[in-house]
Amino acid sequence: MVLEVKQPRPIWEILFSTHHTDIGLLYVFFSITALMIGGALALSIRAELFFPGQQIIPDPQTFHRFFTVHGTTMLFLWAIPFGSGIGNYLIPIMVRYKDMAWPKLNAVAFWMIPVGAAMIWLGFSDTAWTAYPPYSTMKAPGPAAELWIFGLKILGVSSVLGAINFIVTMLRCKHPDLPIMKMSLFAWSILIISFMILVAIPTFAAALIMTYTDRLGITGFFNPAMGGDPVAYQHLFWFTFHPEVYIFLLPGVGMLYEMIPKFSRKPIFSYQSGVTAFILLGTIGFMSWAHHMLSTGMSFTEKTVFMVGTLAAVPASAMHVFNWIATMWGGRIKFATPMLFAIGSILLFFAAGSGGVVNTALPLDYVTHDSYWVVGHFHLILMGTVSLAFTGYIYYIFPLITGRMYNERLGRIHFGMAISGVLIVFMTQHILGLYGMPRRYFDYVPIPEWIIMNQIASTGAFIAGTGYLLFVINLIISSMKGKFANMKDPFHIGEIYYDYTRREPHH
Amino acid sequence: MGHAMPEWIYIGAVIALLVWVGAEAWDAERLLEKAPVEAKTIKVIGQQWFWTFEHEDGTKEVGEVHVKKGIPYKFDLISQDVNHAFNVPDFTMTLDVIPGRLNTIWSTFDVPGIYLIQCREYCGYSHYNMKANLIVEDTTPQEVAALLADNSPQTASVASETAQTTSSEPAIQADALLTILLGSSVQGSPDYDPDVLTVTKGNTIEVKNADTVPHTVTSGTGPQDANSAKQFDTGIINGGESAVLKTDSLTAGDYAYYCMVHPYMTGTLKVQ
Repeated sequence: MVLEVKQPRPIWEILFSTHHTDIGLLYVFFSITALMIGGALALSIRAELFFPGQQIIPDPQTFHRFFTVHGTTMLFLWAIPFGSGIGNYLIPIMVRYKDMAWPKLNAVAFWMIPVGAAMIWLGFSDTAWTAYPPYSTMKAPGPAAELWIFGLKILGVSSVLGAINFIVTMLRCKHPDLPIMKMSLFAWSILIISFMILVAIPTFAAALIMTYTDRLGITGFFNPAMGGDPVAYQHLFWFTFHPEVYIFLLPGVGMLYEMIPKFSRKPIFSYQSGVTAFILLGTIGFMSWAHHMLSTGMSFTEKTVFMVGTLAAVPASAMHVFNWIATMWGGRIKFATPMLFAIGSILLFFAAGSGGVVNTALPLDYVTHDSYWVVGHFHLILMGTVSLAFTGYIYYIFPLITGRMYNERLGRIHFGMAISGVLIVFMTQHILGLYGMPRRYFDYVPIPEWIIMNQIASTGAFIAGTGYLLFVINLIISSMKGKFANMKDPFHIGEIYYDYTRREPHH
Repeated sequence: MGHAMPEWIYIGAVIALLVWVGAEAWDAERLLEKAPVEAKTIKVIGQQWFWTFEHEDGTKEVGEVHVKKGIPYKFDLISQDVNHAFNVPDFTMTLDVIPGRLNTIWSTFDVPGIYLIQCREYCGYSHYNMKANLIVEDTTPQEVAALLADNSPQTASVASETAQTTSSEPAIQADALLTILLGSSVQGSPDYDPDVLTVTKGNTIEVKNADTVPHTVTSGTGPQDANSAKQFDTGIINGGESAVLKTDSLTAGDYAYYCMVHPYMTGTLKVQ
């Protein structure tokens, strides 16, 4: 068993380690820290919007900086590093290799993330996480915007290095006795997102350089006065970041495939269908980027093509949901904390996916576009589906990492607060969007419906935030003082937990 | 897949549902896409952080726009600085306003009242405060019919439509011709021909857009000019169309002008 926390080592041994479990844990620690920082920013935003008028944030520009850094932190410093962290920890074990293919490269890829994070947090840019020109190229104050650009550049390189490492580990270093169609579905999800990263990220890397030279004034890629086009940036941006949505999502899907069969005490309904759906999402995810831009004045043909491309991704997501439900169907389900989170994640995936169909259906897009509906929609995916799956998985591998059990009662309370908070805040935001409130507003017109719904949403956010505070307390206290777990079967399912044994020493 | 049957049925149902949603959406969007020919045009200029509206008859409004119930209106959206989005939530109108582009959106307002116009694309400091009022005035069906029938060439942009439909007839008694050359929208290409046009006060100038994209002839040195469009402005001239500039109200002197859609297109008008 891999019990790093059980055998205390000097801190520098962990920091300078190139062993995949150490780096995996560093990723996980870092991403949970980022979740807390991003969450604190989100709660400040919600507190500001509790009443109309200026409340706790002194001026609009500070507010814009808050939501920019909140978005950037949650996406690039929580969702991505957490997936990579669990991948680092488990992939070599799952494919039965002693470490990642290139351990030193792995360490380099991790240590680029705190550097990028420091640049984003120190700069505190106000470009919004999308950084659309001409605002980002002509009006946004430096050096915040420059720091943001280079911070993201570093994070992009880190993702690409990590992806290469995962692909080589899985395809070249996999144990010869393990056929690829017997590899766990979590490993499949990491394999697919690694290929997606390699295809998607370079486009945005190019757009970042163009934005930087535009800011310097030496080029005019996105400046109409110099023959450029602001919409070109949006195409480059979303060509990276629509696939990126699946890069956030698929590790969570893979984790659900790890948890659901275990707690349902049944094998996966259809392994092949899971693999097929991963590959479908990984390819179709590249066909729908411009649905983020349906209101930029595209031609009718373009709009139709991207609507169809978006709808085409739905059956693959639906295959996953079907697979989970069919796996649970008729099983003797053990409702431990990880399973509760997994079920919550499926529910919210269904809700968020249905909302996505509304967004892409052309005439309806003009109701929802850039309104609070969209905020509610993608938060249901990221805070609902992805974060709940991640959180459940943290509880699930907690005994594997620490050798101790978390506090089950506190875990259940956390689940109750997290799911009710998420539903209250993001479902209300959907309705708020239908009432016409645009996103990224520092203040709003005091229409009674807007006030009451903003207050409901803020209350929900504070409930979820408190739940996540309990989560961190639970993790810290249980990893020090928790009961020792029965490592054969810590959840009393009647099946063997992870039966991976490790013989290789740390190096 | 030994137990694939239920999954295939389920996937089939999902696909059927999606095809239905897509077809319905496509069908609705197809009808919304093109503005009716009789639609009145309102030019909307978005800038940090207010909206300016210009009617066909040249009247300008800032922060509010008056429209009449029952008449289709086409909004030509132009940005002077960064991206904005023109949004009237009550009438489901949302369209980005992007520098260097001309986006159009149309609607017929059926209930009189005052509605909120807001900006939906993040545009900087006062994004949340970039608002205007849409004031829909009540009309009777007779008034609507009369307004739609009234197509007299009293303004530049109405004249441009007339000029296009009757291009073979000498509808415009112009004393001078200003041509916007093909390819003007590409920066660095020749744009206005002649670059310096000399006319006598009182002359009428025909502005012919020989390009394929919309242009304007707007007085001023550029979008930053505080006096921009104060002396003369043709409004949007679509590719292949013409407009008329009158010089009655101009005093003798040199006037710089530019294109609102492509601010790097500039020229000079000399009035003697």
